[in-house]
Amino acid sequence: MKNILLVCCAGMSTSLLVSKMQAAAIAKGVECKIQATGEAEVKDHIDGTDILLLGPQVRFLLSKFQKSLADKNIPVEVINTLHYGTMNGEKVLDRALELIENN
Amino acid sequence: MEEIIMNLIVHSGEVRSYSMEAIQCAKKGNIAEAKELIEKAEMEMSKAHNVQTSLIQKEAGGEKIEFSLLMVHAQDHLMTSMTLKTLAVEIIDIHEELHRK
Repeated sequence: MKNILLVCCAGMSTSLLVSKMQAAAIAKGVECKIQATGEAEVKDHIDGTDILLLGPQVRFLLSKFQKSLADKNIPVEVINTLHYGTMNGEKVLDRALELIENN
Repeated sequence: MEEIIMNLIVHSGEVRSYSMEAIQCAKKGNIAEAKELIEKAEMEMSKAHNVQTSLIQKEAGGEKIEFSLLMVHAQDHLMTSMTLKTLAVEIIDIHEELHRK
């Protein structure tokens, strides 16, 4: 079971991506728990998370999360803008799984 | 329609990120880099504006635009980013002034 956490300002536009990623995960037969949240609620969801993905609109938070998650060994990455804009759940999921694999 | 709205969110989001990165840069004293980031933000802003204008023109042309919470959210993104970029320019000016002294 992989735990993927998506973050944007309020967790709203990323919620849309969550449903597309869930569909992609089912199609691939990968067991995943994918959640979206706002910047302020990350600390409530971070335990058990395998990867944190940031929406491009909160890219400026990358260094903050990299610092605060350094000791938890959770990779953080900004979602590719093109994949985000087109809501390409499959590509984002592939990238997330790749990062978890390499961590 | 969902794709148009996402375009609006993504471009507005880029404006927001570039503006914040520009402020962070200026804070460290990299004024030139901060100004480059503001230019990038401005380019993204014009892209966002093109999307917005096309939507408004459609409505003005009599085409009914469907309203959704996501659309409201996109408008929210656009307005926030516009304000943030305007303020970022001012904040960078202040940092520039401070660093000169």
